Amino acid sequence: MTHEFNTVSEDELHAYVDGYLSPPERARIEAWLDMHPARAQEVREWQAQAAALKQHFAPYARGEEGDRALVSARRHQGNAVASSHASVLRRIAAGLLIFVAGGLAGFYIPGMVAPDRPLETAASPDSLPRQAQSAFLVYASEVRHPVEVGADQQAHLATWLGKRLDYGLKIPDLSAVGFSLVGGRLIPVNGTAGAMLMYEDGSGQRLTVLLGRNRDNRETSFRIASQGGLETFYWIDGEIGYAVTGEVPRDVLRKVAGECYRQFEGSEAS
Amino acid sequence: MSQDRDGSDASAGADASAPDAFEEGVLGLMPALRRYSRSLARSDSDGEDLLQDCIEKVLARRQQWRGVNLRAWAFTIMTNLYRNRHRHRALHPEVEYEEALGLVAEDQNADPLQSRRLERALDRLSAENRSVLMLVVIEGYRYQDVAEMMAIPIGTVMSRLSRARRQLAEIMKDGNVIALRRPK
Repeated sequence: MTHEFNTVSEDELHAYVDGYLSPPERARIEAWLDMHPARAQEVREWQAQAAALKQHFAPYARGEEGDRALVSARRHQGNAVASSHASVLRRIAAGLLIFVAGGLAGFYIPGMVAPDRPLETAASPDSLPRQAQSAFLVYASEVRHPVEVGADQQAHLATWLGKRLDYGLKIPDLSAVGFSLVGGRLIPVNGTAGAMLMYEDGSGQRLTVLLGRNRDNRETSFRIASQGGLETFYWIDGEIGYAVTGEVPRDVLRKVAGECYRQFEGSEAS
Repeated sequence: MSQDRDGSDASAGADASAPDAFEEGVLGLMPALRRYSRSLARSDSDGEDLLQDCIEKVLARRQQWRGVNLRAWAFTIMTNLYRNRHRHRALHPEVEYEEALGLVAEDQNADPLQSRRLERALDRLSAENRSVLMLVVIEGYRYQDVAEMMAIPIGTVMSRLSRARRQLAEIMKDGNVIALRRPK
C-alpha cells in the first residue's frame, strides 16, 4: 500500500502481538506504531482478540472423569501391527524410490525453479486434474465413509476396479513414503468408469490417486496443477490417465507420484 | 510363534491392566487437547466429539509415533481431523463471511452474549485460518511449529494468521462499532 510496510512488516506486527520480539525490537515497533495510528489501532484489536480468545477457552483446559477410561479403552483391541516384514519391504522400496525419483527428475525440474507458483492451472473444468481435485475435495473430507471398499479387502478392490476400468490394476503400496491405503471407490472419470484410491499418513493427512480411461490415447510427461492449497501430480500413459492429489507439500506428493508411476508401470507390464 | 503358553498367560509383553507411559502421556495432554478441540468446534458437544475422535486416532496410531513431541503429534492429528471434517466449509469462506456481516449487534457488556458473539464470529472463519489462529494464540505454538504441524510453508502460516485476525476483527467490529472504534 504505502512505504509504511518497508519499515515494519506485517509479520513483525504479528510477532509483536504474539510476544516473540526482543525488548529492542518491541521498542522499535512501538515507536513506529506511535507514528501510524491506523496500524496501531489494528494491533490493539489483535491484542484484544488474543486476550478474549485465551480467556474464553481457558476453562476448557481441564481433565474430566471419563478421560482415563477413554485413553485406556483401546488397550485390549491391540495396537497397529508393525511387522518386520513390512519394514524390510519399506527399506527396499525406499532404495528403489531414490533411483526412480532421480530418473523422473528430468520431467519436472523446470517447474521446481519456482515452487510456490502454480505450474499449470488446468483450464478445462473437466480436465483430469480438475476431476481429481473435485474427487479429493468431496471424498477426503468424509469421516465415516470415504471409500466404498476398505483396505481390508484390498484384493477384492483391485479386481473389482480393475474389471470396471478394463485394466490390470495393481494397488500401489505407498508405505515407503509414509502412506497407507484407506480404500477405494468407483468414480466417473471422463464420462466413464474410473477408480479412486485413498491413502492416509500417520497424522491423518489424506491423498487420493485417480485413474481414468484416456480417450485421446496420448502421453504426457508429469505435470502439476495447483488450486488453493491443493496439488495434483498427473500424467497420461497410453490408455490410462493418473492423478495424485493431496494437500501435502509438493516434494511429498512428487515422491508419492514417483512411487505410483513405478508401481503402475509394473502392473501394466504384468 | 510359540504355542507352549496357556491362554491366561499369553498376553505377556505388556501389562494389560496398568496404563503405560504412552497412555499417561496422552492423559496428561487431555486438558490442552480439550481446549484446542473446543476452540475449533462450534459447540461443546462438537468439541467433545472431535476430542474423542482424536484420542481414538492417537491410540490407534501409537506405533506411528516417532517418539518425540507427543503433544505436537496429537495436535497435528486433531488439526487434520478437523480439516477433514470441515474441508467443504473451507471452500466457501466468502459466503459465510457475507452471512457474518448480517450479524445483529448484541450488548457487549453482558458477558454471556459477548462470548456467544465471539463464538459466532469464529464460526465464520475457514477451518484453515481458525486452526492457525488457535494454535498460535491459545496453544502458544511458534509460527515455525505450526508450519511443520500443518505441513505448510511458514509464509502460509503468516497469511492465514493475518486473514484470521482481520476477519475476526471485521466481524466483531460489525456488531460492536462503539467499543472498537476509538474516537481519535
